[in-house]
Amino acid sequence: MKPIAICAAIFCLALSACTKKKADYQAEIAKVVPEYIEFKEATSIESGAYRISIEALNGKFYKGYNELRIKVSDKQSKQEVKVSAVTFLPIITKADGTKASGPHRYQPNYLASEHYFSGYAVFTDESGANGEWDLYLSFDVASTSYRVQKRVQVEKQANKNLNMVSFKAKDGADYIIALVSPQKPKVAENALVAGIYRYNPPLDAPSGEFPDPGQFSYAEVGGYTLQLDPRMPEPSMGNHSSLNNKDLVQKDDGFYHGVVNYTMTGNWTLNLIMLNQQGQILKGTVVPTDFTPGVEGVKSELYIDILF
Amino acid sequence: MKKSTLTAFLMLLLGIKVNAQAPSIFNDSTKLLKEVKVTANAKKKIETDMKMAVTVDEFLATADNISFIKRGAYAWEPLLNNMSTERTTVTIDGMHVFGACTDKMDPITSYVESNNLSAVDVTSGQGGNMHGATIGGSIDMTRRSTPFGLDKKWNGSYQTGFEFNNSQFFNLGNVAYSTDKLVADGSIAFRKAGNYYDGYSNKVKHSQFQKFNSSLGLAYKTSPLSSVRLDAIFDRADNVGFPALPMDLWLSRALITSATYKQLFKDGWLRALDTKIYFNALEHYMDDTKRSENLVHMDMPGWSTTYGMLAKANFIRGDISSEVQLNLYDNRSIAEMTMYPQDRSKKTMFAYSWPWVTTRYGGLSINNSWDFSARSSLLFGGALGLNYNRSKYVEFNWIFHPGAPQQKTRLLPSLHASYQLKLNQFDFSVGTGYGHRAPSVSEAYGYYIYNSFDRYDYIGNPNLKNEISYEANASAGFKNEKFGIKAKVNVFSIQNYIIGRVLSLGSPMNYQSVGVKGYTSLSHAQLFNFSLNANYNILENLGWKGTLTYARATDEKGGNLPFIRPLSYQSSLSYRYRDFKFQTSVNGDLEQKNYSPEYGEDATPAYTVLNLSADYSFKLKNVSAVLQVAAENLLNQYYSTYADWGNIPRMGRNIYTSLKFKF
Ligand SMILES: [Cu+2]
Repeated sequence: MKPIAICAAIFCLALSACTKKKADYQAEIAKVVPEYIEFKEATSIESGAYRISIEALNGKFYKGYNELRIKVSDKQSKQEVKVSAVTFLPIITKADGTKASGPHRYQPNYLASEHYFSGYAVFTDESGANGEWDLYLSFDVASTSYRVQKRVQVEKQANKNLNMVSFKAKDGADYIIALVSPQKPKVAENALVAGIYRYNPPLDAPSGEFPDPGQFSYAEVGGYTLQLDPRMPEPSMGNHSSLNNKDLVQKDDGFYHGVVNYTMTGNWTLNLIMLNQQGQILKGTVVPTDFTPGVEGVKSELYIDILF
Repeated sequence: MKKSTLTAFLMLLLGIKVNAQAPSIFNDSTKLLKEVKVTANAKKKIETDMKMAVTVDEFLATADNISFIKRGAYAWEPLLNNMSTERTTVTIDGMHVFGACTDKMDPITSYVESNNLSAVDVTSGQGGNMHGATIGGSIDMTRRSTPFGLDKKWNGSYQTGFEFNNSQFFNLGNVAYSTDKLVADGSIAFRKAGNYYDGYSNKVKHSQFQKFNSSLGLAYKTSPLSSVRLDAIFDRADNVGFPALPMDLWLSRALITSATYKQLFKDGWLRALDTKIYFNALEHYMDDTKRSENLVHMDMPGWSTTYGMLAKANFIRGDISSEVQLNLYDNRSIAEMTMYPQDRSKKTMFAYSWPWVTTRYGGLSINNSWDFSARSSLLFGGALGLNYNRSKYVEFNWIFHPGAPQQKTRLLPSLHASYQLKLNQFDFSVGTGYGHRAPSVSEAYGYYIYNSFDRYDYIGNPNLKNEISYEANASAGFKNEKFGIKAKVNVFSIQNYIIGRVLSLGSPMNYQSVGVKGYTSLSHAQLFNFSLNANYNILENLGWKGTLTYARATDEKGGNLPFIRPLSYQSSLSYRYRDFKFQTSVNGDLEQKNYSPEYGEDATPAYTVLNLSADYSFKLKNVSAVLQVAAENLLNQYYSTYADWGNIPRMGRNIYTSLKFKF
């Protein structure tokens, strides 16, 4: 039986050699793309007997689009307080002292069923060398007006899928496009949501001691179209694209909705062309569609890079 | 690996010392089973007329209905009736094993060695439905198993050889131990080859290979009519070049195991019961780092794991003998694709080319043989199978097929009948068949699988319909002591024929690719195969054999289908003189005119290859030995066949020698 036993021993030896591990696909994606689904208090301000709480996803403000929930409560009883005429204004003070804002909802709307005021802010920069952000809020309780101000920390958006871009378009206006969703794209068909905002230059000189909203006005533009051409820019991918994508058009919620397909994980560029209501190109260029292995993909003049 | 191959070699030397007597290929249960064998299968010994130490591929190539797609010197993909492995079932002792490579570098035939097989059963068309749904037929490789209670306890053989063209050195060893109660079999094989040279004496780069194969079997007789047997095959291929593909194989490993219980019955209708459970796991890791032309480094590992069982019962009653087989298996196929950016600090890109695809099959097959007169018999049978697929990461499939179901269940029926008539020295047969098959994992769920032949990325379609085959076959033969001739013909009309068609959607992912093709169903396609075999014993020690084959296949519009063999021929003469045997053969294809440019084919010129061999048999004490010296492609013809992937040239003149001992 000896040869057979030796044969068996070789068998075991051969079996115990090393090999590669399978990719843990779900964990891999989670590592690259943090997803935040929970609203937590990002900052709070006290004024008189009241406490104003501002909630954001993950309890932090990030560069780019931030959905916000504003709650006013009684400091003592912690009960919700009936307030009206709520205003919200984020302002960045840059190193040279100039002030600016980003797209925001100046008058957050009250959602009775949810017991909070719903608003948003697109922070155009993270806090630091580029400037510091202050939030200015005002509200009325039983015909008394309250005004508060709070410096807040705006952090870098680690999730490239929530990137934003600001640019001057052919109509001379300054625009901002901010990605809202998906936070965590899949190799699949993804609903793509973005906000398009236009800066309204002030018509009058500033007035009042509290910042004048007229100086920092942004409008959610209506009726535009964002033409979409997603591609992988990496030279080795040869300008690879996907199929069944849909251009972004505005829906009732004010956002622009479209569809993007990602065929694999990695770096993608959303090449965009922004058209106005008349279908005129305000920004963006058509990108080549050829498969060009070894050549870095040409990007549109208007694009947003994402990664997952 | 180095270490274990060395040990393997030592073991072989050891094996020589201890062994005895020639192994018989049948054990006692198969002896009985032979009587109840119903299908007319072509069982062949693993040796060709020309070559003594063949690879499994070379052996299969001698069957006139088998041809090969060749991507290099190793692991040829067998085509049966000019149909590739999606349309045929390839099994080892009835066990299903599925390749782990999306590029078909690892047909199942590459996981065995000639010295752990005893025979290969090739059954054409629906007659091959015994092991599961098929269109083209089945190839079942039977493992070697030593019978109980041989006169000599120890048996063994050892074979070594060298092929000069590609410096292939091989060693094949077998040992068997047999008593009344216990049998043990062991085999070991090692091959190592360098690059081969074509007919212009140019080196064909990336055509080297290295293979190690070992098998073990243990059988125990539980009663006079029953036995239990455990089997395992371990196969490992390292550093295998695929000159026709843009990448090579770094490592592939397979473990193929089974446990079998056999029970024979002396009387009654039920004659034999054979139950087997099995497990096999395959790993396949490709390597593109040795190709300087590659812009991108890609990792493409694949895994395939199968669990299964089969149960077979043989019945005889009067003139009717029947074979019933239950097949169950569960396979999971995974293939990954990770692309590394040129700037390595950047994120890699990832996709599944097989997104964790599960295939489950359960089916019952019945084949009957009714000898209703001394001259004529009827073979008839059927099968009904249930095929279930599930794609775990179905989002990959949704890119091209939004909303496609994640799971799909298909019913796969099969029917066949043939009538055989013997009139003196003549024999005739006519038959017909009908059967379905489910799409393969790549055809249904593949994602951006690069095909370097037509340079397209292929996308699977989960919604494909079953492929349905209608088949007719006939044969006529004549045989006397001196002369024999046999003609065989078959026609397949296949509905929903699955093939890749250019998609206007999407853009390629693999950088060599020119576009994207999606698997679609043609409304129908036709295949026609013809073969003519003849042999003539000119003198008692001088014999001639010849084969002619022709095939034609067209799609619904009359366009050609790819990989269809043009008119091919083979003619050989063998002469025996005392302990010497001389053989010469000529084989070749005529020009391939009916090629398919749509699938990357071009016209392939005709070629003829001349081969020569000489054997000398002798005895050294109790050891019988054969020495062979031979040459393939003696005239050093430069050629490439219709089925050589990317027109890579075949091997030029190859002189080889081998020596075989039997104890
Ligand atoms: Cu492979």
